[in-house]
Amino acid sequence: MVTASPDPLLVLTGVSRSYGPLQALKPVDLTVLPGQCIALLGVNGSGKSTLLRIAAGRDTPSSGQVSYCGKPLREDALIARAEIAVAGDASSTYPDLTVREHLLLVAVAHGGGAQAAVLVDSTLAECRLSDHGNALPGSLSSGQRQALQLAAVLVRPRRVLILDEPEQRLDPGARRWLAGLLVKEKAAGAAVLLATHHVELAEAVADEALVLLDGEVVGRGTPGQALASIQ
Amino acid sequence: MAAQTAEIERADSTDATMRLLRELRRTRSRKQVANLAYWLYLAAFAIFSYGGWLVAAIVRALRRPPPPVADTPMLLRAAPAGLAALALLVLVILLWDARWRGPVVIGQPTADWLLDTPIRRDRLLRPRYRASAARFVLAGGAAGLIPAVLLLAAGLGGSGPADSLRLAGVAMLGTALLAALGAGAAAWAEAHAHAILRVATPAGLLAVTALAGVAALAAAFRLPAVISTVLLWSGPWGWAAQAPVALAGGSAPLWPVATTLLALAAAAAIVLGDRAAAEVPAAVLRARARTLGHMSAAAFNLDARRVTTAYRGAIGTYGRVRLRIRAPRSRQLVLPWRDLTALVRAPSRLAWSALLALASAGLGALAVRAPHAALLPLIGALVLGYLAAAGFCEGARLDGDDPRRSAQLPFRYDTLAQWHAIVPCLALAVLAGCPAAALAIITGHALLLPLIAATIAVLVGGALVNSFRGELEGEMFEGFDTPLGNSSGITIMLWYVTGPLLAVGPMIILWSAAVTAERASRTIPEAVLSAALAAWLVHIAAGRARRLKSP
Repeated sequence: MVTASPDPLLVLTGVSRSYGPLQALKPVDLTVLPGQCIALLGVNGSGKSTLLRIAAGRDTPSSGQVSYCGKPLREDALIARAEIAVAGDASSTYPDLTVREHLLLVAVAHGGGAQAAVLVDSTLAECRLSDHGNALPGSLSSGQRQALQLAAVLVRPRRVLILDEPEQRLDPGARRWLAGLLVKEKAAGAAVLLATHHVELAEAVADEALVLLDGEVVGRGTPGQALASIQ
Repeated sequence: MAAQTAEIERADSTDATMRLLRELRRTRSRKQVANLAYWLYLAAFAIFSYGGWLVAAIVRALRRPPPPVADTPMLLRAAPAGLAALALLVLVILLWDARWRGPVVIGQPTADWLLDTPIRRDRLLRPRYRASAARFVLAGGAAGLIPAVLLLAAGLGGSGPADSLRLAGVAMLGTALLAALGAGAAAWAEAHAHAILRVATPAGLLAVTALAGVAALAAAFRLPAVISTVLLWSGPWGWAAQAPVALAGGSAPLWPVATTLLALAAAAAIVLGDRAAAEVPAAVLRARARTLGHMSAAAFNLDARRVTTAYRGAIGTYGRVRLRIRAPRSRQLVLPWRDLTALVRAPSRLAWSALLALASAGLGALAVRAPHAALLPLIGALVLGYLAAAGFCEGARLDGDDPRRSAQLPFRYDTLAQWHAIVPCLALAVLAGCPAAALAIITGHALLLPLIAATIAVLVGGALVNSFRGELEGEMFEGFDTPLGNSSGITIMLWYVTGPLLAVGPMIILWSAAVTAERASRTIPEAVLSAALAAWLVHIAAGRARRLKSP
């Protein structure tokens, strides 16, 4: 019996990005299916974040196309804002709102309604931030701030999760929690696009990995295969 | 909330979100209102305490406008082009503002936490646009006082309080309408044609300069009346100028039509801007919010240099590498090469500095030609010369901003300050020194040449002193109490102006002595003293650099 593969959520076709004479990303094709996790590996400046920004619609490729659910992706489109969750981009916080209030704002903005408060409290617990719910974000440690960014993703609905080095500043225990979280997200049907320096995290959660070097894909396959292909 | 596989149902959560945000931030909003009231009180207090005489003079002028003077007809001839230039300047300022900030602007937390949610953008952005437009209109109305006061002072305010009030009213109305037009146009450009703003600002400035030139010509000669008519109908800036020109006694018979046209254009622009406000791309909003965040933080710390750096980043000063200079092989040429590269990578700053240097040379020549009234041109020449030198010292400023940048260079940090003097001295010598020297030789003041050369070194020395001033220290904010208030304000101001004060102040005295000297040979002592001053300033700059490296 042949199982029909699900329709892809995010399709990048021949996308590249140049800044003047510098080609930060050479043409890349990428298809992200529901329930699939793709990890981007590579040294600093290899083009991982550029590719993620393009996939999130936050940067326009110099060539190629990005489509979401079969339609060209625009960051400002309602569907993109409702369904694509990008973590790690919120560098600033409201100085007068507590951690809990930040999450409440996101949950309500995404239509959380009456359930928003309950959802926020459970997410705070899941992200080990319960004790800091009533604290101002300025008082959090860098690891806790990273956890807040991840919590902001969890209090909203999402079909695609885009994460740029989410393991940064997390302690080993929190990194294990992150791996478990991403596996759960996949199981729930979310597509995950992840840039990371942490090979163990990629091996634990990714179905496919791309290794980038100087903006070019130099290895592709399962995380093990992708890394082996460049060694 | 779990991830979802099917398309996510999207109920409009805008009202609930905005209500929640208002509730959560209610305390902060109250504090903001209280702060605003406090600042308004302070401003009113300062105006009436320190500027009471000015308010009284304005009220007196409005009640009994000054009568026409001998120059009044000349000023009336210049009024159409001059007022159109001022009006166009209002528009250019708004377009320049839209280039990096714009009327549609949100804070960084809002950009980071709300932009990528599915709430309606119009509800988030339009209130911001409307508040900005209201502020612009108020500021535009206030700016209208400038042409009104100029016309009144020129004896063109009519014969009684009613005339002068009418003149002030139409001038303020004109600039307020222009500001509304500018706000709408800027919001539209932010959303749909951001690239236009890059071209519009310099083009607008050129047009303002051209109009100012026509005004000067009109004052000096009798230009054909058709030129004024064309200028007054050339666009909204001309329409705005017509009512004040007509009420001042000039020729603009159709000024009610022009004012109506301006009002219609302003209303159309405001509506267009309101629609466009909701369509400003998230990427633009995010970038501007980031810039404003950086600028606010720098401004809060009174760090003017960082404010400038954030602004330059926003307008893309260092966006592209346009020109390259081949790196030298000689160690001695490394820093001059680095400084030259800093200059050519920011061509607009280079152009401004060149313009300032030339203007400085011109004013200097004027001072030498008219020694009996030399003081003001001399001060102007030296201040402009200092500003030009500061522009040419960009390489030094970059090293002074962050000592780590030159950590790998094979120079001691204090000698680095001396190396950084070479390129600015050469640039100032070519752009201000050579023209000034040529004029001095032509007019028979060749013995001023050593003083001109020494002045260049002094101005660059002063600019270097400021380049290596480092960061504002926390202690400066504390100060100490005096009968006139806390000393911190004066301390901080002195910290900012040490370089120009040490360079320009003494040079005003030395040049005043030189230009009034009966025999040109008596300028040699001034030249020697200036050279000594230059050496001392470079020594101070080196000392400051040393302290920066090892505080």
